[in-house]
Amino acid sequence: MGALPAIAPRAEVIRHHRQQGGQVAAVLPVYAPRALLRAYGFLPVEVWGPPGVRTSDGASHLQPYVCSIVRNALSFLLSGGLDSTDLILVPHACDSLQGLGSILLDFVKPRQPVVPLYFPRSDGAGAQGFLAEELRRLATRMGEITSRAPAADEILQYVVDEETGDRLLLELHEARRQLPLTNADFYRLIRSREYLPREAFETAARQALTMRQPDAAPARTLLLSGVVPEPTSLMAALDERQVQIVADDTLCGRRRVCPPGRSSDPFERLSQSWLGGPPDSTRGSSLAARSNYLVSRVKASGARGVVFHMVKFCEPELFYLPSLRKALQREGVPSVVLEVDLNDALSQQVLTRLDALLEMIP
Amino acid sequence: MNPAAGLAYACNARVLGPAALRAARLYAERQARGGAGRSPHLAPPLRIAPRCKEMVARHWLEGRHAQGVRKVAWVTSGAPVEFLTALGFYLLYPENHAAICGTARVAVDLATAAEEAGYSRDLCSYVRTDLGSLFSGRTPVGRLPRPDLLLACTNICQTVLFWYRVLAEHFGVPLVIVDTPFVYGEEAPPHALQYVGTQIDEAVAVAEKVAGRALSAQSFERVATRSRRATELWLEILQRNRHMPAPISAFDQFVLMAPIVELRGQAATVDLYAAMLREVDERIRRGMASVREEKYRVLWDNLPIWYRLRAVAELLAERRIAVVASTYTNAWGELAPYLDPARPRESMIRAYTYPILNRGTGHKLHIMQGMIDDYHLDGVILHSDRSCKPYSLGQMDQRERLSGSLKRPALLLEADHNDMRCYADEQAATRLAAFAEMLEAQR
Repeated sequence: MGALPAIAPRAEVIRHHRQQGGQVAAVLPVYAPRALLRAYGFLPVEVWGPPGVRTSDGASHLQPYVCSIVRNALSFLLSGGLDSTDLILVPHACDSLQGLGSILLDFVKPRQPVVPLYFPRSDGAGAQGFLAEELRRLATRMGEITSRAPAADEILQYVVDEETGDRLLLELHEARRQLPLTNADFYRLIRSREYLPREAFETAARQALTMRQPDAAPARTLLLSGVVPEPTSLMAALDERQVQIVADDTLCGRRRVCPPGRSSDPFERLSQSWLGGPPDSTRGSSLAARSNYLVSRVKASGARGVVFHMVKFCEPELFYLPSLRKALQREGVPSVVLEVDLNDALSQQVLTRLDALLEMIP
Repeated sequence: MNPAAGLAYACNARVLGPAALRAARLYAERQARGGAGRSPHLAPPLRIAPRCKEMVARHWLEGRHAQGVRKVAWVTSGAPVEFLTALGFYLLYPENHAAICGTARVAVDLATAAEEAGYSRDLCSYVRTDLGSLFSGRTPVGRLPRPDLLLACTNICQTVLFWYRVLAEHFGVPLVIVDTPFVYGEEAPPHALQYVGTQIDEAVAVAEKVAGRALSAQSFERVATRSRRATELWLEILQRNRHMPAPISAFDQFVLMAPIVELRGQAATVDLYAAMLREVDERIRRGMASVREEKYRVLWDNLPIWYRLRAVAELLAERRIAVVASTYTNAWGELAPYLDPARPRESMIRAYTYPILNRGTGHKLHIMQGMIDDYHLDGVILHSDRSCKPYSLGQMDQRERLSGSLKRPALLLEADHNDMRCYADEQAATRLAAFAEMLEAQR
C-alpha cells in the first residue's frame, strides 16, 4: 500500500483559517453550497455527528428515536464543539434535520446565526428556480452576517473552482481500484473534502492520483452504501480482512458529487448542478432510479458484494433498502445491512455479519 | 367504464351496501339510546356519531367497488385535493386506512408483513401498516381499489415522499409530488409559494390527463366552497369546547374527524358537521359534559394512540380530566381562513403550505399557548409519537416552556400512533396518574 498524502486534521485547518481572518461555517448533512460559503469568506466544515460525543446534552432536546447524526450534532454544539464556528447551516435533508433546524432557531438559539436551506423534492419545472432563489436568500443572509457583497462574477468563479474540486473528488472515486491506499486512508482522503479548503483538497487529491497503478484491488471487493462510514474502525476491519471498497455510494460520499452546472448565473448554476446529482434517498428519487444507479455502480466498479452501512433511525435510507437489496439480488450480488449508532463501537455482531457476506463472495 | 364493474358498483356501493350500513346505523343508534357500553365517567357519544360512522363506511364501501368505474387517487392527508374531487376522483387516504387498522388492532399483524418484506420497524407505523396490507392483501375495509394516480404532499412529513415512491413502484402509476418547503419563520417566502403554485398547476395537468377531462372552474369553486364550509364548521365544533364543561372530548374528535380529512369537498360533509354543531350546541344548553365531573381541562398534542383511544379516555376521565382540545384535530380547522372559493388555486397554495406540521416548533408552541388561553386549559399531554418525527421533535423544549413560564403541567407520553408494541399499558397508566397528581398540586 502507498502512503496517503499529508492531510491536516480538522482542528488545525479551522485554526489556520481563523488565524487568516476567515470565518467558519458548521454545515450539517447532506448537501452544502460550498462555493457560496467560500465566496462570503466562510470555510465550510461538515458536521456528520460527530461520533463519540457526550450525548446527554442533546438528549434533553431530542427523543431517543432520532438518529445519532442529528443527536450528536446537537450535543456537539451544546458541549462547545462548534464554538469556533460563526454560522450554522442546516440543509433540509429529512424530518430529523428539519426538526433540529427548527429547535435551534426557536429554542436553543446558539450564539452563531442558524440558517436553514430547503432543497426541492419535486423534479418539476419550478424546482430549479426555487433552489436558485433559496441560494440567493442564503447569500443575502451571509452578506448581512459578514458585511461582504461579492459580485456575481466573483461568486461564479468560486462555483467554477469548487466544480474543479468536485471533479477531482469524482476522479478519486473512479480511480479507486488503481489507488494503492488502504480503505481507511482512502476514506480519510475523500472525506477531507468535508473540511479542507478546496485548494488544499485539490493538492492532496492530485498527489494521490499520481499514485495510480494498474488495478491494485485485491480479489475481494465491495461497494459501500449507506450513510456515513462511522465508526471508522469498520475500515480497519475491512483492511484486516484484505477487502477493498472499490466503489462508494454513501450519502456523505460519491452520492452527493454533482456534475457542474451550465448557467453563467452562479445561483442557477449551483441549482442546476444539484438537480443533476445522482439519485438519492434524501432527494426522494424514484426507487427505480436509485436501484439502477446502484446496480450500475456495482457493475462499473466490479464490486462483488454490497455493504449497507446504516445509521439507526435514518428513515430516507431505510425506505429504499428493500428495493435496493431486491435489485442486487436479481443481479446475483450479495449484500448485507450493518446498522450502527455513531456512539457505539464496532460490535462483534456487526463483524460477524460482515464475515458472513465475505464468505458469500468467491 | 367496465359494464360488469359498473353494475357491481351500482348494486353494492349504491343500493345494497348503503342499505346494510343504514341498518347497522339504526341498530347502533338504538344501542346508544339504551346506554350500552357506557363508561360511568364519560358522556355517551354524540347521537350523530353513528351517522358519521355510516358516512365513512359508505366511503370505504364505495372504494371497494370503485375500480373500473371511477378514477381512483391515493392521497396524503394534507394534500390539496379539491381539484381531484372536482375531477370526479375517488379519494383514498392510506393514512386513514392505517388508522382504521390501528383502531381495529390489526395494525401490528399488517406491519409485520411489511417488516418481513424488509421494511424496518423504525419506519412510520402507518406506512408499515399500509404496506403490510398491500403485500398481504388483508384489510378490515374489505378491499382497497387500485390507484390510477398518486398524490403526495410533503406538508405533513418527508415520510410520505418515500412512502409514495414505494407505492408508485408497486402500482406503476403516475406519482405527483407537491413539495411544500418547510416554513421555519413566520411567513413562507414568495418564491416558496410560487414553487408550490407551479406544482399544483402541474398536478392539475396530470390529474386531468388521468381523468380524461378538463377541470371545470365551476366544479373547482363548488368543491372549494364546500371544503371551506366544512372546515369552518369543524373549527366551530372544536371551539365550542371553550365552554366549561366541554361538550365533546378530543377523543370524540379523533373519531369524528374522518370526514373532514377524507370527504371535505362533499355536500354531505357540510350537512354532517352542521348537524353535529347543532347537537354540540344542544349539549351546551343542557349543561352536558364530555367528562361527567370535569375538573381539569387539558390539551392533547400529536396524533392519537389509535389502539388505546378508549382506554386512555377512561383512565383520564376517572381522574376528572377532560381532554378538551388537540393540536391534531385543530389542524383541520386551521385551514378554514386560507380557503377562498373565489380563488381556489391561489388560496390552496397558502392553505396547504401552512399546516401546523409544515411550520416550526416555535409556531406550534405559540398555537398551544393560544389554545391554553382560549380553552382554559390546566395542562398538556404531549404524545411523543415514535412514528411521527415532524410532530414530536420540539416537544421536549415545548414541554419545558409550558411547565416553566406558562406554569402548566406537561406530560411527555411515549407511545406510537399505530404500533402497540411501543406502548406499555402499566407504564402509561403510571405516567398519567402522576400527571393527574401534578394537575391537582397545581390547583
